[in-house]
Amino acid sequence: MTATVLSVQGLKKTFRRGLRAKPVQALKGISFSISAGSITGFLGANGAGKTTTIKCLLNLAFADEGEVRFFGASELSPAIKSRIGFLPERPYFYEYLTGREFLRFYGELSAEFKTVDLRARVDSLLKRVGLEHAGDRPLRGYSKGMLQRIGIAQALVSEPEFIILDEPMTGLDPDGRYEVREIIRETAKSGTAVFFSSHLLPDAEQLCERLVILAHGELVFNGEMHQMLSRFEVGYNLTFTKDGKTSTESVPTVNDLQKTIDTRRAERADILEIKLNRLTLEEAFVRIAMREQA
Amino acid sequence: MRAVKIIALNTFREIIRDRILYGIVVFALLLIGVSIVLGELSFAEQARISANFGFAGIQLSSAILAMFAGSTLVSREIDKQTVLTLLAKPVSRTQFLAGKFFGLTLVVAVVMLGLALVLSGLLLVLGLKIDKLFLGAVYGIFLEAILLTSIALFFGSFSRPVMTVVFSISFFLIGHWVDSLHFFISKSQSETFKMLAGVIAEIVPNLERFNWRSAPIYGDAISSQEVMMASLYCGGWVLILITATAVIFRRRDFV
Repeated sequence: MTATVLSVQGLKKTFRRGLRAKPVQALKGISFSISAGSITGFLGANGAGKTTTIKCLLNLAFADEGEVRFFGASELSPAIKSRIGFLPERPYFYEYLTGREFLRFYGELSAEFKTVDLRARVDSLLKRVGLEHAGDRPLRGYSKGMLQRIGIAQALVSEPEFIILDEPMTGLDPDGRYEVREIIRETAKSGTAVFFSSHLLPDAEQLCERLVILAHGELVFNGEMHQMLSRFEVGYNLTFTKDGKTSTESVPTVNDLQKTIDTRRAERADILEIKLNRLTLEEAFVRIAMREQA
Repeated sequence: MRAVKIIALNTFREIIRDRILYGIVVFALLLIGVSIVLGELSFAEQARISANFGFAGIQLSSAILAMFAGSTLVSREIDKQTVLTLLAKPVSRTQFLAGKFFGLTLVVAVVMLGLALVLSGLLLVLGLKIDKLFLGAVYGIFLEAILLTSIALFFGSFSRPVMTVVFSISFFLIGHWVDSLHFFISKSQSETFKMLAGVIAEIVPNLERFNWRSAPIYGDAISSQEVMMASLYCGGWVLILITATAVIFRRRDFV
């Protein structure tokens, strides 16, 4: 059985700003879990409660109710924290530090490295995120994509078993998004569980095995990506040739597909392709969101 | 302690690399420079006037540094969200605050040491002795700066930097006035004034307890007991203020 790195039970959070302001219930009792070594996408529209959830997980904001367990432990102790990496949304880092100083600073905070080991770790991380050429430059001169990559590097500095990335692809150009996607893929390949929030669904579709979807502070889906997409299968396309002419026919179910194949074969048509029609994650997400609104 | 040290050193680096610090140092050096000019204008007592101005320069610049840098010490980390990555590491909120406090204290100490060296060189040239009274005066200014740092840190944990500076300057001014305030309370007929001024005199630390600046000028002795009591007084206030800051900070949501 795969070990659980994070389990969340009934997380609730209400914000009260000002004495007269109406309380806003940001999280309405959400529950989910993350398995070791998986890539899980945490999806939802802006304001769905993704960042609030992440902050509650890491005690950067305090939940009103609910239980969070990392690696089975209910307390977020320093030992547990050193097994977790985190990149916040729109990160701003100490711009007076060079990339190397920045990683060394977070490395020293994360774990008790020997000086030589930390230096080697920093060098390998700079290489891994493609910033070895910029390691001695102050962060104030870094582009958005470079900052995002150095941010991921700081999340990985202690070789965590689990990393949480809040909107790691937001604001990046296609090249930057590709680079971040590749880093996430490699990180997961090395055995680290990745939990990342995003509203960029094509990126999530390419990366994730599992999805946790929020809408208005409520959990609307928690499971495998294929389960989510199979909910929205919309039939099959059958392509065939007959008398030298190629045609495509849509059929709604597997039974219909079988009957149609038999019919076409009886007509001496050649079947060229059978394609399952399913929605993209983006289309499926919009349908879920519309259902929630209704 | 490791996390506190690492954050303190990073805070030190942050302030040292900030141009504002150099503005404050230049301001202090100008004040020390002006002290020479003012000393020249005097018939006698040149060294005393220069010493007076020199100490005032060090005091003012260390107070400005403590209050202005202290006002943004925590709020900048929250505004720019760097606090999120820091506290996600194995660092407690109290360790974070202590690290910020010690980092700024280290900067104040280094700046004051530099300025004290400049002033001591100047006073030696003018024929004044550099002895333990001089060191006592500088130490008193340092205690005041530490206390102002913790005041700025306290207000900075829940108010905007501008308000933090306003509160800190108020504490700085009233803090030098506490003895006068007690005198006015004893002479006043108004019960309301007595009550209000009494409360203020109790909740504002008396900064005059660290004022030994005239000792090296006039050769007044500073007893070791006085120094010890002032150090304890400063340490007690710092402890109270840092603890209060930690309590406010402990359950704060970073949204």
